[in-house]
Amino acid sequence: MAAVSTEISKVDLTKVKPYGDTMNDGMVETAFTLPVPYGEEASEAAKQLVKKMGLDEPAVVYSHDMGGGYTFFVVYGKCQHTVDFTSIKVTKVEVEIMDRLECQKFIEENIKRDVVIVGASTGTDAHTVGIDAIMNMKGFHGHYGLERYKGIEAVNMGSQVPNEAVIAKAVELKADAILVSQTVTQKDVHIANLTNMVELLEAEGLRDKVILVCGGPRISHELAQELGYDAGFGPHSYAEHVASFVLTEMVKRELK
Amino acid sequence: MAILSSLKNEYRTLSVVGMAKNAGKTTTLNYLIEEAADECVTLGVTSTGRDGESVDLVTGTEKPKVYLYPGTIVSVPTSLFESASAGLEILRMTKYHTSIGPVMICRVVDSGYVQVAGPVLTSDHKLMYGEMMSCGAEIILIDGAVDRKSIAAPETSDAIILATGAVLSRNMKKVAEETAYLAGLYGLPELDDEWAVESFKGCSKITVAGKGKTCGLDIETGLDASGTIDDAIDEDTEYVYIPGALTSSVVRNIHPKKFSHVTFVMKNPTKIFLSFAEWQRLVKKGFVAKVLKNIKIAAISVNPVSPEGYSFQHENLIEIMEKAVPHIRIIDVKLQ
Repeated sequence: MAAVSTEISKVDLTKVKPYGDTMNDGMVETAFTLPVPYGEEASEAAKQLVKKMGLDEPAVVYSHDMGGGYTFFVVYGKCQHTVDFTSIKVTKVEVEIMDRLECQKFIEENIKRDVVIVGASTGTDAHTVGIDAIMNMKGFHGHYGLERYKGIEAVNMGSQVPNEAVIAKAVELKADAILVSQTVTQKDVHIANLTNMVELLEAEGLRDKVILVCGGPRISHELAQELGYDAGFGPHSYAEHVASFVLTEMVKRELK
Repeated sequence: MAILSSLKNEYRTLSVVGMAKNAGKTTTLNYLIEEAADECVTLGVTSTGRDGESVDLVTGTEKPKVYLYPGTIVSVPTSLFESASAGLEILRMTKYHTSIGPVMICRVVDSGYVQVAGPVLTSDHKLMYGEMMSCGAEIILIDGAVDRKSIAAPETSDAIILATGAVLSRNMKKVAEETAYLAGLYGLPELDDEWAVESFKGCSKITVAGKGKTCGLDIETGLDASGTIDDAIDEDTEYVYIPGALTSSVVRNIHPKKFSHVTFVMKNPTKIFLSFAEWQRLVKKGFVAKVLKNIKIAAISVNPVSPEGYSFQHENLIEIMEKAVPHIRIIDVKLQ
């Protein structure tokens, strides 16, 4: 089939801007609340604010009185900025992804013993959805969790576990890897919590002896490395991604 | 205010350490660099490099570049030499390694931006500082690569400049309280009982000591092990040495009566992971702590602006801070 010339094939990737209903119209939708009473002055304030964000021709398409002197807005505007897509570099976990069976074979051939992985949703976080998706038998989205892997002893400590309890457990079980899950992250509480884990491990002289991995909706590999983790997994990560990383890293660091 | 010219007589190496992310570490560093240029102090500038950051260093996202003036001695990895906008004269090639290649010691000839990085190993840092001094640096500033307090460990530098600021809390009193607490911890008295100091040096296990006898506990970590530690303390015990982290779970089940004749000894103040409230509760029960080596705070820099969108009155914050830590010099890096 001959290549079809469509709008998308003509896009200048060095100058990308939002698409609304025609190419390069720059259309952006914003939604926010201002601490001002509902009315025309409020809408004008919203428009001016959006203009300052670099969005031209702001249009308030929806506003709602939230009560108590707050007003909610949806404002459209045309973005005047562009990004150079060709120059973008994102730090990713660089490891060859193995599926469950390949992971099991990898353990048999290269590690030759059971791998112990301790995981928990730490600090104040009561949400187990992330750690469960990775660790529990049934897994998530058709991807079995680590408990299903032959050769991996997966210990899921659940939610609201203090960092020190995770470390104590990891020491007790001689764990090879620690997985930290952070789901709810208001006011960046996950940053303080994740940093505390690294600091505790360093103070205990254990940092080099375990593979330390974190995950959650607001975690990126780059952030994880900045905080002193070996790897970070964001949304759309499954057990096989985490397992592949941990196993490969174990062999690389000779933690056998 | 000539801070550096007075500090250079007291200290050879100063680390800039942030109490939290966005506490104003970079602002403080830049302020000191500017001051050095004005006061004609020859600075050495380096940073604590870590493996994890190699990629960030290359993309330049993590490590902000610093603007340096002529005469400054700086450590630059060979791979980042090309990316400097400053004119650099290579003084010598060192044998120290960052995660992204060997380090060179350079002198700035034309002002400009430089990406600074230092050796990965703490032991290499000390040696490199010596080399930078022999190249003419009068005092060395170390940029903490991450805002992590463990780099304040006394092995890294002679003293630290602690960057604190509004980002800690929306309550100004709380900012002062937290800062004063940390300053208090860093200044904990050093253990002066010679035989005890000798016996704890190089100790990697939790050790109880008293009446000239020491006994290492057979546990891998003190975390969640306060019961075991409690059992090991008898009436002859004078010291409990904790080589790792001191958290609430390390002391939770130790009977408060035992606090009266036991001093807890930590390697250094960065090993203490207790909140201000937990610390106060312990101290009320008679808890006494000492360290093998404490951390000198040369000055505290204060940033009244938080990136979360609130700020304090400069004068008020400085005043409340000076009251909270009366013995340490406070600098307002934004005002000067």
